[in-house]
Amino acid sequence: MPVTLEKKDALTIIQLEGTIDVGGAAELKELLVQQLKSSAAVYVSLDAATGLDVTAVQLLWAAAREAQRVGVEFGFKGQTPEAVRSALVDAGIGEFPVPASTG
Amino acid sequence: MAQPRVPSNAEQFKHSFREEAREILTELESALLELNENPSDTELVSRIFRGLHTIKGSGAMFGFERLAAFTHDLETAFDEVRNGRLQISSELIDLTLSALDQIRAMLEEGTDGAAPVDPAACAAILSSVRKLAAIDERAVAAKKSAPAPDRPAAAAGAIENWHIRFAPGPDLMRYGANPSLLLRELRQLGELSARAMLDSVPSLGEMDPERCYVWWEMDLATGAGREAIRDVFIFVEDTCELSIEAAGDPASPAAETVPPSDAERTARALEEGRSASPGRRSYDKPDHASSLRVPAVKLDQFVDLVGELVTVQARLSELASLQNDAEVTAVSEEVERLTSALRESSMNIRMMPIRSTFEKFRRLVHDLARDLEKNVELTIEGADTELDKTVIEQLGDPLMHLIRNSMDHGIEPAEVRADSGKSPTATIHLAARHSGASVLVTVTDDGRGIDSDAVRRRAVERGLISTEAQLTESQIYALLFEPGFSTAKQVTDVSGRGVGMDVVRQRVESLRGAVEVSSQPGQGTSVTLRLPLTMAIIDGLLVGVGDACFVLPLASTLECIELTREDIARANGKHIVIVRGELVPYIRLREHFHMRSRAPRIEQIMLVETAEGRFGFVVDRVLGNCQTVIKSLGRFYRQVQVVSGATILGNGTVALILDPERLIQDAVRDEAHGRGGRTLTAHGGPPENSVEFTALAGRGSAGPSASAHV
Repeated sequence: MPVTLEKKDALTIIQLEGTIDVGGAAELKELLVQQLKSSAAVYVSLDAATGLDVTAVQLLWAAAREAQRVGVEFGFKGQTPEAVRSALVDAGIGEFPVPASTG
Repeated sequence: MAQPRVPSNAEQFKHSFREEAREILTELESALLELNENPSDTELVSRIFRGLHTIKGSGAMFGFERLAAFTHDLETAFDEVRNGRLQISSELIDLTLSALDQIRAMLEEGTDGAAPVDPAACAAILSSVRKLAAIDERAVAAKKSAPAPDRPAAAAGAIENWHIRFAPGPDLMRYGANPSLLLRELRQLGELSARAMLDSVPSLGEMDPERCYVWWEMDLATGAGREAIRDVFIFVEDTCELSIEAAGDPASPAAETVPPSDAERTARALEEGRSASPGRRSYDKPDHASSLRVPAVKLDQFVDLVGELVTVQARLSELASLQNDAEVTAVSEEVERLTSALRESSMNIRMMPIRSTFEKFRRLVHDLARDLEKNVELTIEGADTELDKTVIEQLGDPLMHLIRNSMDHGIEPAEVRADSGKSPTATIHLAARHSGASVLVTVTDDGRGIDSDAVRRRAVERGLISTEAQLTESQIYALLFEPGFSTAKQVTDVSGRGVGMDVVRQRVESLRGAVEVSSQPGQGTSVTLRLPLTMAIIDGLLVGVGDACFVLPLASTLECIELTREDIARANGKHIVIVRGELVPYIRLREHFHMRSRAPRIEQIMLVETAEGRFGFVVDRVLGNCQTVIKSLGRFYRQVQVVSGATILGNGTVALILDPERLIQDAVRDEAHGRGGRTLTAHGGPPENSVEFTALAGRGSAGPSASAHV
């Protein structure tokens, strides 16, 4: 799971490429935990992603909640590719991610 | 795009899927062949449909997309049969059997020694299946170009609304499986509205990134019944929580499979499980699997270790007997008891029913019958008989040769059978049964039988016997197993090259087994393979000749009697003794192995029961029972067939394990060839490797030559 980190002051942009799935889940979790600790704002770009599985969805969902809890800005940048969008619809996730509660 | 890291256990689960799928394919093959005989059996049709469905669904889950796509149309065809819209025909059966071969190839693709998938054959099969089942090719093509959900025939009933809750097991993603594919499959059944529930996802810091916390609420409008919906989850059913409720009316007939109260309880349990502890579900409880799938290599290691333990235990017993200490003796006896129980258990673990080996020949018989244009029915008896895993693994080839031989040469064409008053449909009967410490596996046909005169003539032509040789029927039949022997007038693709039967004997003998043939002209032939129950450790009887020790398999021994000088004198030089009025020939091991030590005044005869009758082996002394861990003698001693292996005794020396059947056959053969000087005397000259025998089996010989080959 190739990842590019773009840092500008306290802003971090995490660019995820290829298929984001269980194979890179542990790595993605570690990355999200670190960036939420060290940044004031974290954005995830899925522009170059080709697929997203349930483990990736869970992690991004949990990251959004964690960001709200610790007062870090969290969101998505750019366009979600069609393949990713249809994979999410397939999984019954629809518009993503919109945490229902702040936990 | 870089490839994502493959989780280390994904391959492991793919491997498990392969194993499961192989079993399903074997079952499918049997069911198809049964269906060929009983085309109206709806239960068989359902079994086939479910098998194909499982392979398709689980194949897609584990990344075998090509396999899943290929299986889809077959599944649809059998769904059509299930719904009474398509008749079972030989064409459909044959096409499906050919398709199973391709599925098998797809399954093994990328593994060592796998047969390649034939894309042209796959396309031809699919095209024929679609034509037969009236599956619209254009619809298939359209589906490929636009993956919009379609509605297979299963969804063609009255539309009902279903509410489905699906919570996958926590390890689903670790298996490399993808729940989205299940949802996609549900969409094929009808209109699906699915909502992924993320409320069980714990905080980022707490979560296990590879675990599945998401669960789904779904509403499905479909004409497919509850079973069809359940079938979608067939492969994950054991590890997930699933409730399928008919929406609106819980008492509707559609809810009959799971009573409404059960469905409610399941739904409640889902809710309660989540509210009590988010992310923790009922399947987090310890599993109580009734069986485990263990890699064969681990089992072999385990049995090897038990073998080593048996050897060390024998050493301990030996030392304890020398110590003369009651406490040490008590401990040693306890260790012996436990080792014996452990050995018994480990051997039982290796035992497998012969069913799967037998069942796979249904396909062989079906295909050969078609190729040879003969009507042949395969009947099976004793498929639950258990044998050692190693024996079963090596039994396939000999049985295949025997069946091919029967089909080709034994069984007559239908018109010939009819002319001789036989049923036009011939029978091949495969049977297995226990007989003492052996299992008898028999292949019987009701064909023309063996022409013993033709066998004899051929044997003379080939110089195997002299024209004057007097042979019994069983000796004549034994000639069939000589290398290159064939009485077939023509060589066919099936048999007639005289290769197979030789292989049969070699393979069976390498398993310490024996082949027996009986035949009735015009009535048929029966070939019986006598096989040992186990290959690793046997109960043996330890005997001594001079300084050497030998082991006889305990199962074949009957009793021990004394042989005095007077007995020898009474027999006028013949090697025969009278036991309760019965004349029993014997072999003197000292002479047979040309051992130079002096015989005691009173020797012992160990009587054994063999296929040839009762015989005796003369030894100096009988030392007692022993658990015998069979060690191979290695390639150097491969030609020495009277010895089936060696074992290490408690005192560290090596004892050869004798094969009573082969010893006697050797002696009988010498007699038949006129080489035996006296009745059942061993070789006239020194036997091959006689010096090595003596050395290897001797007390002072557990040196380099022994250890190098044991």
